[in-house]
Amino acid sequence: MTISRETLEADVVIVGAGPAGLACALRLAQLGADSKGRGAASSLDPENVYVLEKAAEIGAHCLSGAVLDPRSLAELIPDFLKAGAPLTPVSKDSVHYFTRHRSFRLPLTPPFLRNHGNYVVSLNRLAKWLGQKTEQAGVSLFAGFAATELLVEDGRVVGVRTDDKGIDRKGKPKSNYQPGYDLRAKVVVLAEGVRGSLTKQLIKQFGLEAGNNPQTYAVGVKELWEIPQGRLRAGEVIHTAGWPLASRQFGGGFLYGLSEKEVSLGLVAGLDYEDPRFDSQEAFQRFKTHPFVRKLLEGGQMIRYGAKAIPEGGYFSLLPTAVEGALTIGDTAGFLNSQRLKGIHLAIKTGMLAAETIFEAHSADDFSLARLSQFEKRWRESWVHQELWKVRNYHQGFEGGFWQGILHTALQMVTGGRGLRARYPSEPGHLRLKKLSEALPRNPELKADGKLTFDKLHDIYHSGTAHEEDQPPHLRIGDFDICNDRCTREYGNPCQHFCPASVYEMETSPDGSRRLKLNPSNCVHCKTCDIMDPYQIIDWVCPEGGGGPRFEGL
Amino acid sequence: MKIAVALKQVPTRDALLRLSESKSWIEERDVSFEVNEPDAYALEEALQLKEKHGGEVVVCSLGPPRVQQAIKEALAKGADRAIHFEDTQFTQLDANGTATVLSKVLESERPDLVLTGLQSDDLGYAQTGVILAERLGYPHATIVMEIQIDGEKLRVKRELEAGWFQWVSMPLPALLTIQSGINKPRYASLRGIMQAKSKPISKVTAGELGLGSEDLSPKQNIVRLYVPERKSNTEFLQGSAQQMAAQLVDKLRNEARVL
Repeated sequence: MTISRETLEADVVIVGAGPAGLACALRLAQLGADSKGRGAASSLDPENVYVLEKAAEIGAHCLSGAVLDPRSLAELIPDFLKAGAPLTPVSKDSVHYFTRHRSFRLPLTPPFLRNHGNYVVSLNRLAKWLGQKTEQAGVSLFAGFAATELLVEDGRVVGVRTDDKGIDRKGKPKSNYQPGYDLRAKVVVLAEGVRGSLTKQLIKQFGLEAGNNPQTYAVGVKELWEIPQGRLRAGEVIHTAGWPLASRQFGGGFLYGLSEKEVSLGLVAGLDYEDPRFDSQEAFQRFKTHPFVRKLLEGGQMIRYGAKAIPEGGYFSLLPTAVEGALTIGDTAGFLNSQRLKGIHLAIKTGMLAAETIFEAHSADDFSLARLSQFEKRWRESWVHQELWKVRNYHQGFEGGFWQGILHTALQMVTGGRGLRARYPSEPGHLRLKKLSEALPRNPELKADGKLTFDKLHDIYHSGTAHEEDQPPHLRIGDFDICNDRCTREYGNPCQHFCPASVYEMETSPDGSRRLKLNPSNCVHCKTCDIMDPYQIIDWVCPEGGGGPRFEGL
Repeated sequence: MKIAVALKQVPTRDALLRLSESKSWIEERDVSFEVNEPDAYALEEALQLKEKHGGEVVVCSLGPPRVQQAIKEALAKGADRAIHFEDTQFTQLDANGTATVLSKVLESERPDLVLTGLQSDDLGYAQTGVILAERLGYPHATIVMEIQIDGEKLRVKRELEAGWFQWVSMPLPALLTIQSGINKPRYASLRGIMQAKSKPISKVTAGELGLGSEDLSPKQNIVRLYVPERKSNTEFLQGSAQQMAAQLVDKLRNEARVL
């Protein structure tokens, strides 16, 4: 079938309307308005800045803990509090170490986890709010449109292709078929969030990872609860380490008071664990049964559920941020401070710096790589570099387990981030997965009680996830034979455990053989499968725009 | 041919609802909204009729500022202009109130055809359309599955129970309430979204329509909203396979009423 596609020309195409993409778009509009105010003849028209968002609504795929360092937001919108940003000031901080039945509060909160002056936020609500500001500034926001392909010509990114809509399960057009557009732009900004699918294409086509540490990841699983008043202060921040994670696992729990009645809680687990049967959703359910957590939640009601991967690698895992015709910002490039457990402020800041670079390029009508590389220079000269440099070896220090990690962290803190050597190496997390034959005996399965703990299907229902059912699967499996035979023997199909949304299911067919069955409509777009699959044969591609979770309040 | 479409914005299907403090409505924070499903089919039908017969499609929607999103979506899909009825006096109108408000503008617009969804996904009264027809003095048909227009004459197929249909003829102008599934709604296109920015949306308030609180006072009130209380109970059937099958059929037919 030859498809005739409409081509549209924009000045800037931004892929993804999270904090990075929106900050970039808003900053471009601000700069355009400023220079117009100063009487500049040809200025960047915000209408020619296109932001594509695969979610049906801005913010619907945005999920984070989260505690926000307002530094960059204050630079972007100085009167953000007056302007109604949905933020809860942090009122109290504590860190606890959990054993199965007990918890020990650290007498001192380590400096990097002190959150005085920061805010507890729902990233979903923050992105929604930022989206309104961006739209009011005149930027063209397109929700429900996924960018499915980078357009590359002669070694330069020249645009993106949007999703074809109205294609059935078998790949045939339906009566409401609408081919995607080719959006051409002077520069494409990838702000896809963690493990972006166009970013994957960019890495491959431009050979971007060479010379760096590979990116390492974690997955965060969370719920939003309504609890009886008086148990947690609005703005109270609690972090936990230890149980239910094994001492060799990276990660920890969090409980954030969004208001006196709303608590955001979750568990973050490194995607470099060894037990192929580890299940983050189940571990999170266990976390809630700890007496400390149970006491807070009992009698409350779970409102929402969601999950999302997190780029943890830090400084040495960052992608080159400028290539011919494109910039990468925020999570997609790896801008995250895993020691402070924060990335939103870096997403906003890198978005702004990208905008400033693009604005200059536009004024000079020069979008060459030399010009775009100013972005790399800009963030390296900003506090983004200072902050990430100090913790450049942090996450790698935990590859030997929790206790070693604590030692390395202490060492790094007194050596300005260096620790034992200039660059701690790291390896891709999926390589650390052990085969079934080497794995330790497993905990008995947790029985969900339906009040405090839930099975996956119940949780998924609370993620508001919906996709058009009649469309091609958006999880492309390279070789089903590996799944149905080799992986079953070697790893026991870890996909059925690591997916926090039951997308992967092993089905017993009438002849007794076990086969992989996909439930793509359950997918909460967390990207864990693309990252953690031991054979790296799962390719997560964007489903039809508008589908996916609805992370309201997360 | 001028076609007016009444669009309502309702909480998304499968939205997780919480009751508001008053226990007479839902907590709207953290709920996302979408175009009421049968209304989306009504809009698509209007757009297809316009493509066939020419004319214009005017979208009417009543509600708070968030409704703009539904209006913009309709304009992006190809509607020509919109009327947004926005006023604090319009919050929580009953079907009679909504129809009264819509009729005030449509009386002067005099569309040839008014399309509404069969009912709203949130309240499900299925009343606004028929009351509106009465107020406008238009003939109407409900649960419409097919529309044929021949000059001034209208022929429509209505869905009845148990797979039965009925064909009805009536003169134009008329009002039809549309059943989901009558067509396959299109997607908004990128170009459509950009063009929608310059399409006119006129805002109308109660004062401009000469409507006071008396005209809008509800004839019907929500007394209490509550989550259905779950009662599950297990029953074992006794007897031979044949007897049990017969009992099961009887229960499915007369108790569960699913057969």
